Amino acid sequence: MSIPDRRPGIMSVALTLLLAWIVVYPILLVAGQAVSGAALADFFGRAGEWRALWASLWISVVSVGLAAAVGVPLALLFEWFEFPGRKTLGSLIALPAVLPPFVGVIAFLFLYGESGFAARAVQVAFGMAESPWRLQGPGAILLVHAYSMYVYFYLLTRAGLAKLDWSMLEAAQALGAGRWATFTRVTLPLLRPSLAGAALLTFMTALGSFSAPYVFGGGFRVMTTQIVASKLNGEMRLAMVETLALALVALAGLAVLRRVEGTDLLVALGKGAAPRRRVLRSAGARATAAIAGWAFAVVLLLPHLTLLLVSLVPYGTWTTQTVPPVLSLANYARLVAEPQRLRPLLNSTWMAAASTAVAVLLALGAGWLAVRRRVRLRPVIESLLALPWALPGTVFAIALATAFSVRAPSALRWVLVGTAVILPLAYLVRGLPLTSRAILAGFRQLDPALDEAAASLGAGVWETFRRVTLPQLRPALAAGASLAFVAALGDFVTSIVLYTYDTRPIAIEILSSLRLNELGVAAAFGVVLMVASATVLAIGARR
Amino acid sequence: MSRFLEVRALTKRWSAEVTVGPVSLPIDRGEVLALLGPSGSGKTTLLRLLAGFETPDAGDVVVDGESVARLPPARRRFGMVFQHYALFPHLDVGENVAFGLTGAGRRETGAVEAKVGEALTLVDLAGFERRKVQELSGGQQQRVALARALAPEPRVLLLDEPLSNLDPSLRERTRRELRALIQRLGITTVFVTHEQEEAFALADRIAVLNRGHLDQLGSPEDLYERPATLFSATFVGRANVVRGAAARALGGSNGEALVIRPERLRFVPAAEGTGTPVLAGTVVERRYVGASAFFLVDPDDGERIEVEAAPGAARAGERVRVAALSVHRFPEAG
Repeated sequence: MSIPDRRPGIMSVALTLLLAWIVVYPILLVAGQAVSGAALADFFGRAGEWRALWASLWISVVSVGLAAAVGVPLALLFEWFEFPGRKTLGSLIALPAVLPPFVGVIAFLFLYGESGFAARAVQVAFGMAESPWRLQGPGAILLVHAYSMYVYFYLLTRAGLAKLDWSMLEAAQALGAGRWATFTRVTLPLLRPSLAGAALLTFMTALGSFSAPYVFGGGFRVMTTQIVASKLNGEMRLAMVETLALALVALAGLAVLRRVEGTDLLVALGKGAAPRRRVLRSAGARATAAIAGWAFAVVLLLPHLTLLLVSLVPYGTWTTQTVPPVLSLANYARLVAEPQRLRPLLNSTWMAAASTAVAVLLALGAGWLAVRRRVRLRPVIESLLALPWALPGTVFAIALATAFSVRAPSALRWVLVGTAVILPLAYLVRGLPLTSRAILAGFRQLDPALDEAAASLGAGVWETFRRVTLPQLRPALAAGASLAFVAALGDFVTSIVLYTYDTRPIAIEILSSLRLNELGVAAAFGVVLMVASATVLAIGARR
Repeated sequence: MSRFLEVRALTKRWSAEVTVGPVSLPIDRGEVLALLGPSGSGKTTLLRLLAGFETPDAGDVVVDGESVARLPPARRRFGMVFQHYALFPHLDVGENVAFGLTGAGRRETGAVEAKVGEALTLVDLAGFERRKVQELSGGQQQRVALARALAPEPRVLLLDEPLSNLDPSLRERTRRELRALIQRLGITTVFVTHEQEEAFALADRIAVLNRGHLDQLGSPEDLYERPATLFSATFVGRANVVRGAAARALGGSNGEALVIRPERLRFVPAAEGTGTPVLAGTVVERRYVGASAFFLVDPDDGERIEVEAAPGAARAGERVRVAALSVHRFPEAG
């Protein structure tokens, strides 16, 4: 006599098809065209292709090692020891996590580049005729990666350490293990899931990294820059084969690292006593820890301070001096006053807002269907939402460029490339994993009894959603939306493939300002992006 | 004959092995009914079927002549107090209580405020409107949940394990208050519990559930004095189950299991002899509880039994003879 409600089933099918259409279908089209043509043979025949693929792989692996070497000791320092300034510095050095990668790269360029601040200082100090170094090639890329990706290890290790049950360490010591044995036999194994998670995050980010190799690579190509170069050369077929190769490497890397990750033992064991921070008693040790902490923070934040400084230098006033002679807000005034500079700011803002709004709506629908209604397509929907995270941005850029440059309504393809729709669509695909991870987690934390309570008090499905579910999801919504918005606002990797002059976003404008030697304007854009990102994320993180 | 709330052959089939019902319960207006049973007996399923959170596979629920089995929970006008209260964390106490009074679009008007105040006064929480629910103690949260359920003036009040989340010292008092409130409002109430004591203290009648089926429906006295099944006899109240030779020694016939309450057993003095069937054994433990004591007796033949008697009736280690004042007889297989 009970009539099953068919609506969630129908809605889940519709959502699955929509997600498959924007997430999987373009990639399948690329794969199909890649394997059915002469480009495949070209790819296998050229040594440069293999070199780029190998470069992507080893750069990613070494980046993981370097990021761990910086991030893990930092985490231990800040989580285990108490010293003056610990709290402030601890959150300051997490800052690179919230900044668009492209901004970090140009900040690095201004500080350590061959005509950057550091190089000039050394040049003047030693009376050299030329810049003392050229920041180029794999070494430069690795430096930028280590600098921007240590954050993953730092944050995840700290989170892991914070969950660690202190009594377990005491138990090890009571059983006769010394400090070092306790660390290697208890602490590290318990941290394994955190470390593996950080390694996975770093590997995937490094593999998809485009800004650093593009700006600092010089003749050294990784797969992402190789793909964009092929596309710019008009070799679209070859770009597709390269895209497919990069996607396969990314999926293989994901599969391998997922296996290492294992289950989170700390979660399984439940909550323990919070570890006490060791207050360093000897003045010497305290000073050492404080100095190390401060030194780290200064080194890590220096590029962004440099960016701020350069943004205050009006065009043509800083030539050979070590320190800029004139500082003013002229560059910021130009961003607003000159229409061709204001345009990218507006473009980025509306495109990021639109893509975020749709990503949030889709994630809300997915959360309601997958978590609340537990529809049968649940695993498919969740995988489709997570997939864009596993694949580099360049892969999606090429896939969307391929799928939506042809008019074939019967195959669900329309010409979107060159229109104002394509970039928001790309941002949407890239933002889906961010919004859906936060919002689905939010849904999972909801108590189903609250919905039943609302129903027993006379509230219908929609009213319950509006008055009970949504208000409780607010923190998750804010977190997911702010992450997606910031990612879209600073996007460089998909934009460079898909932009047109009319839709150019901030990152592209920074690039062209650099080309015109308008360093101050480029830096001002960077600072705006940085401040906007930090502000949005701070709002999103508020409870 | 029609009652105010009628549960008619209500059935829920979770799987081929796990089925709840068919259960039929006629409930009078203003009556308080307890659904009592061990975990897995189907009592919670039954309550959720009444509330409308589960859809029945067969049967009907009729309130005041109106069938509600096909209505969504929102349109049944049943108030429900959840086991963990399910107070909305994003709303304060007053907004929680007002939730059922302010439908979609309607604002919190003066009339609503007055009703919220009334409901809170009812549960002795007048003036708590603007408090956050997280700041309240467990007992206060329970009362807010009750006020919230009562505010829209429901036809039936449903309570899921209403006292299970309170610490024992608070339970006794809350039980009394709850009983007084329900009686004062005269609201038809169905509640779920796994504790016999709670069912006895609150309910007019008790439905004992076992493995998805209604075992017995009756007043607390009926259940205690006239248990219909071996399960009811042992689940409700303290009971000794005596089988085999020991059962025969106490006057049972072949193939019969006897259920005897501890207070219906007595020690037979050595002087007294003939006539009554007695079971001989040794006292292995004496547990003093004040007015009386419980004696654990190890019979020469059969399983240990518990005897409630005057504290000085016997000592540990003493040889005793036990006789039954009254027994409940059931077929051995049951």
